[in-house]
Amino acid sequence: MAANLMNWLDERLGWRSVWEAIFLRKVPHVNWFYTLGSATLFLAVTQGITGILLTLYYVPDPAHAYDSVVYITTQLPMGWFIRGLHHWGASAMVILTVAHLLRVFFLGAYKYPREITWITGVFLLLIVIGFGFTGYLLPWDQKAYWATTVGTRIIGVAPGIGEWLLRVARGGSELSAVTLARFFGTHVWILPASLLTLLGVHLYLVIRIGISAVPEKDE
Amino acid sequence: MSKSTDEQVNRRDFMKTAIIAIGGVIGGAIGLPAIPYLIGPAQKQDSEDWVRLGAVSKVELNVPTLFKTTIETQTGWINAEEEFSVYVLTENGQDYSVMSNICTHLGCRVRWIPDQESFFCPCHNAVFAKDGTVVAGPPPRPLDQFEYKVEDGFIFVKRG
Ligand code: HEM
Ligand code: FES
Repeated sequence: MAANLMNWLDERLGWRSVWEAIFLRKVPHVNWFYTLGSATLFLAVTQGITGILLTLYYVPDPAHAYDSVVYITTQLPMGWFIRGLHHWGASAMVILTVAHLLRVFFLGAYKYPREITWITGVFLLLIVIGFGFTGYLLPWDQKAYWATTVGTRIIGVAPGIGEWLLRVARGGSELSAVTLARFFGTHVWILPASLLTLLGVHLYLVIRIGISAVPEKDE
Repeated sequence: MSKSTDEQVNRRDFMKTAIIAIGGVIGGAIGLPAIPYLIGPAQKQDSEDWVRLGAVSKVELNVPTLFKTTIETQTGWINAEEEFSVYVLTENGQDYSVMSNICTHLGCRVRWIPDQESFFCPCHNAVFAKDGTVVAGPPPRPLDQFEYKVEDGFIFVKRG
């Protein structure tokens, strides 16, 4: 019965071959460092879920942002936990992504034919850092405010167009409601959309090309 | 030979179990706390308190008298002031009935029209009598009554 249903579905969806390509593909005999990419992926998913949960209460407006965050942490049942996961997950995300990059680097897995996997990876790292940078402002407390003041000032020291870039980042010359709104929009729309797109390419290549073997000493 | 295929199967099974276990842990660790997190605000009981309406002497005999006050409310992270209006009716200057101005149909605000000696609801043309009973229209029950008390010449109602 169940098998019949599965066959019926597979005839129309062809999901079995997709399943096989993803989960039953052949991999060389590798080591635990090869799980770092998957660990990053799992964490990215949890960040997505906890982030979506936070947007149910968070308000990106200077008048209410801080109060809404305090409400989440002190008034809502399990709010402190959801926020805590997202908060610590953000740091773990950067650490894991870099660890994954290092494993790819030291095992020489970035070489032909995996250059594009590496390049999409570089952009993924930038996105992960972008998440951290934009997310840090959102609680709109003193630490957030001054960290972003400093962070955007750093953009300002770029030669020539620095001052202009600073104004683009802040949406004006000073940190304001405009800054908070655009950081929020970037954090919950632009970066997730970019992450999904690049991750799609990244994982497609991992599956299409197959994972690299651990290099031999005499290679 | 057979040993190595056994090993293959075990490896695959191990991965399967590991993925399901990790997925389960993540799903449980986020999914379960997500439930109280999502329904939390709905569970919160509105606090009950006595609201001072004003001097009882302002209540006219046999005419529903409107009392308007503002009360401080806290919704989520916002402290706001909310308008609170009720009609107070007395026939003998001793016993009062304090009626909500919220239509029992779908919640629009009713208004006392002196000429017609009735309350009207503009949303679906309901008519309530002076004592709050339904005269015409869709409302399923009379206007809600509040518990009240009179102290030092002031009338208070219990809200919540
Ligand atoms: C959001 C961040 C990222 C996620 C979720 C992610 C995910 C993955 C996954 C699941 C794999 C499979 C193999 C493994 O786990 O090691 C992989 C492979 C790979 N990743 Fe990433 N990655 C990310 C960032 C990066 C970065 C920053 C780089 C380098 C700049 C990179 C370069 C590569 C390369 C070259 C491979 C192929 C490795 C091989 O074939 O052996 N990735 N990635
Ligand atoms: S809400 Fe008053 S009549 Fe429908």
